[in-house]
Order: sequence, then C-alpha cells, then structure tokens
Amino acid sequence: MGKTYEIPVGAQHISLLEPLHFKFTTENERIIKADANVYYVHRGIEQACCSKFKFRQVSFVVGRVCGLCSISHTTAYSQVAEKLLKIEIPKRAKYLRMLVIELDRIHSHLLCLSHVAENSGFEALFMKTMQYREFSMELLEGICGNRIQYDYSIVGGVSRDLKPEVADWTLKRLKEFMPQLDELLDIYQNNWTLSLKNKGAGAIDKETALRLNVVGPFARAAGLAVDVRNETEDLLPWKEAGFEMVLEKTGDVYARNLVRLRELYVSIKIIQNVINGLPEGALVTETKAFPDGEAVVRLEAPRGELFYYAKGNKTQVLERLKIKAPTFSNVAGMVEAFNNNEYGSAPAIIASYDPCLSCTAR
Amino acid sequence: MKSFFNAIANLFKKPVTTQYPFQPTYKPDDYRGLIGFNEDLCIWCRRCEAVCPPGAIVFSQDMEGKQTYHYNRAVCIYCGECVRSCPKEGAIFQTAEPAPCALKAENINNGWNKLFPEAIQSREAFAAEKKRKAAEAAKAKAETETKQQ
Repeated sequence: MGKTYEIPVGAQHISLLEPLHFKFTTENERIIKADANVYYVHRGIEQACCSKFKFRQVSFVVGRVCGLCSISHTTAYSQVAEKLLKIEIPKRAKYLRMLVIELDRIHSHLLCLSHVAENSGFEALFMKTMQYREFSMELLEGICGNRIQYDYSIVGGVSRDLKPEVADWTLKRLKEFMPQLDELLDIYQNNWTLSLKNKGAGAIDKETALRLNVVGPFARAAGLAVDVRNETEDLLPWKEAGFEMVLEKTGDVYARNLVRLRELYVSIKIIQNVINGLPEGALVTETKAFPDGEAVVRLEAPRGELFYYAKGNKTQVLERLKIKAPTFSNVAGMVEAFNNNEYGSAPAIIASYDPCLSCTAR
Repeated sequence: MKSFFNAIANLFKKPVTTQYPFQPTYKPDDYRGLIGFNEDLCIWCRRCEAVCPPGAIVFSQDMEGKQTYHYNRAVCIYCGECVRSCPKEGAIFQTAEPAPCALKAENINNGWNKLFPEAIQSREAFAAEKKRKAAEAAKAKAETETKQQ
C-alpha cells in the first residue's frame, strides 16, 4: 500500500472540452477512486421553456441546449409536442428528420474520435479526422441552411424541404467520404502508437454497464445492446431505413472508437436509403390545438438515449418539460470505468466518453 | 515507413483550410440569413412578432395608428419562423446574406432593450386612446339620442 494522492482535473483543464470536474485518488499513478461534479453550466432552460416561451417556440430553445446534438433535442421535443397535440406528421418529414439526425451523428462521432486521438497524444490524426469531418458540416449547412443550429424540426414536421440538387450532392459527398472512412478505420484499428494508449484503457464490463445504466456507444462498446433505434418504431422508422446494431466486446477506449467508426457506416447507409426512397408529401401537419396531457419520448442522440417528458394544460405555455440527456445517464459508468487505470491515460478515457455537460446540466 | 513517406508527400500537398478573409468559404444558395421586410405588402397583423422565439421583431405605433417595423439582427436566430407564419407572401422574407457585425455606434443591445418596451407601450397608448375616443363617441351618440327623444 503506497501513499495516495488526490489529483483534481477540471473544471477548466487543457484536456477537457467541457466544464467537468474530476477528483482522482491515485496510488502509484494508478487511479483507485474517482469523483465527478458535472453541474457547472446550469442555465435554467427547463424553467424558461415552461414560463417564458410558447410551446411552438420551445423547439428552438431546446435546440440551444447542446451544439453538437442540436437536431436530436429539437426532434425529441417536436415529437413530444406532437404527442401532446395528438397529431401524426407526414412520412416525408419523418424521413427528413432521420436524414439530418444521421448527418449530425456523423459529425458528432468524428469530433469525438478526433478528440480521443488528440488526448491520446496523436495530434496529426486529430487534424486528419477534423479535415474529413468538414464535409458533414457543409452537407448540414446545405440542407438546413446553417452549420450548427439547424432549427430543422418544428412542431408538426420539418421547416424546409430537401432540394433534388442538394440530395444528389449529398450522395456524391458521401461516396467521396467512404474511402476516407476506411482509411480512418484502418488507422484507429491498426495504429500501434494509438493502441498503446487505447487498448485496455477505461474498460467496463457488460454486467457493470447494465447495473450502472450506461447508454449510447459507451454501452455498445461493452457489448450491451441498447439503442433506441432498435426499440421504437412508432415515431421514426429506423429499421425501414436500414438500421443495424453495432456491438463490440471489450468495453475499452479502443472498442468505443470502433463502435463510433462502424456506426458511421450504418449512418451513411441510412442516409443513402432515405435519399433514394424519400416519399412524396407535405412537410408539416398544421393544427390549431393546444398541448394537453402528458407524454414521454425517447430518441437516440449521438451519445445515447435522450429522454423528454412534457406536460401540457391546454394553454400556449407548457406546464412541465423534463430533459434527461445521455451523459447524465453515463456519469455513474464514467466514474466507475476510471478504476485501476493509469492516471496518464485519463485524458483519453475522458474524451472517449464523449461527455456533453451543457446537455447534462441544461 | 509508410507514414514517413506520407509525411514527405504531405509537404507538397495544397493546404486543406481556406484563407477565410481573402477567400470566400462555402455558403449554400438558401443560407438562412438576414430577414427582409416589405412595408408595401404588409397587412400589419403582427403574427411574425407573436411567433418570433427570441423577440427580434417588434412593431411600434404612433397616435395616428401607423405602425413601424423594428428588427434586431443581433437578437434574431434566423430560424425563419416569421416567414412561415406570414399570411401575406413576400411581406417578410429571408435573404441569403449573413448578418454584418454590429458597430458600437449602433448601440444594438441597449438601444434594443430600450426600444422594445417603448414600442409595446406606444401600442398600448394607441389602444387606450382609441378606446377613449370610442367611449367619447358612444357617449356623444347616446347624448344626441336622448336629446332627440
């Protein structure tokens, strides 16, 4: 038994993208205990949604909860509001929502992968991944009209149509991206330097993941088959669009990288299927009803299951809106997975969780 | 060894980044840019003001009842909700032009914070005046009716 040291990381730290505080208890550079504090960026969005904004405006407010999974929040809120209004949206709108969600997943996963590479000390790969990521940002800008805040889903449908020339251009760019993705998969899978830092680091087994209710790529890397796209079919027809579950076994940083990379292939397939089989029809279902009753919606954001609860009382303003972001579910697993790891690999492990604290603290 | 040759080859490749202020970056044709307003077509229903999520549009009203449109590009989130809600096509529209930076002389924050409540007050004042005039007219009408009887 050596002497134990407590090392604080965050809330401002060079290897952290987000205001997140970890307190590591280490013994001979080995982490034996970790504590996390995640509530640094509370903005009171839930309260604002229930007091200041009308229910149709809230879909633009919740888009500002998170910059990376903006479309997931907007779509989840739109779906929960549609449940309260008891309306069914056109099929074309559903397909267009899936298209933008999957494009968003591509750019979010590539961002996470690049930061894992950077925090593992492989800066050149960081730049390469970011270079390849740029195409997805341009596609999103072409489809939604903006790079970050898409504002694409509105209550009752989607805000703008997909032009035929943009659809062709999207397919062309995706085709160009495929060899680049193969190259990235090869590097993340076979690079010796990266595997030294990533293989076996931050491992979590399947039973622990299930016990701690881990979601998203973090759980799928441990072999736990949790994906909302696999479970629900009523709101968005994922399986019709070609969804497949991606699973790995080892649960370490390396497995998380591979889950994210292999999910990109699935995302690309879904986007191609959506564009090739886009049904004709209206974009928005108009209604003059007011939200009434209670509803719950789950949606697979890039980081895992996003949960929305809303309660309406037949007025313009909602009575309650509850957002549970995927990172919130993952905090317990994040703290657990640090145990028995070298302190030196902590930055790579933190990046591989893909934490999104502005979602968590709202 | 492969990565060594890659590194050498990369020396002769063109940079991936764009030299932004000197070269234009990618911008789609239907970029969500500044909101335009056509006063001749507007029917002054104020629906755009009601739906605007951040409150970037406000109408003020003078005592004759003429309304004026005010728009703040720094508050606007360019969602296009005003355009979708407009019953008269072309009265309010979205251009592809990105918003220019605000200058200090424009006083875009404090000026707007002052203007917004003033515009609401000016409308309330006009409504109160209208109500008062209507009440006066009704009173006068009632008086004339009683005199006639």
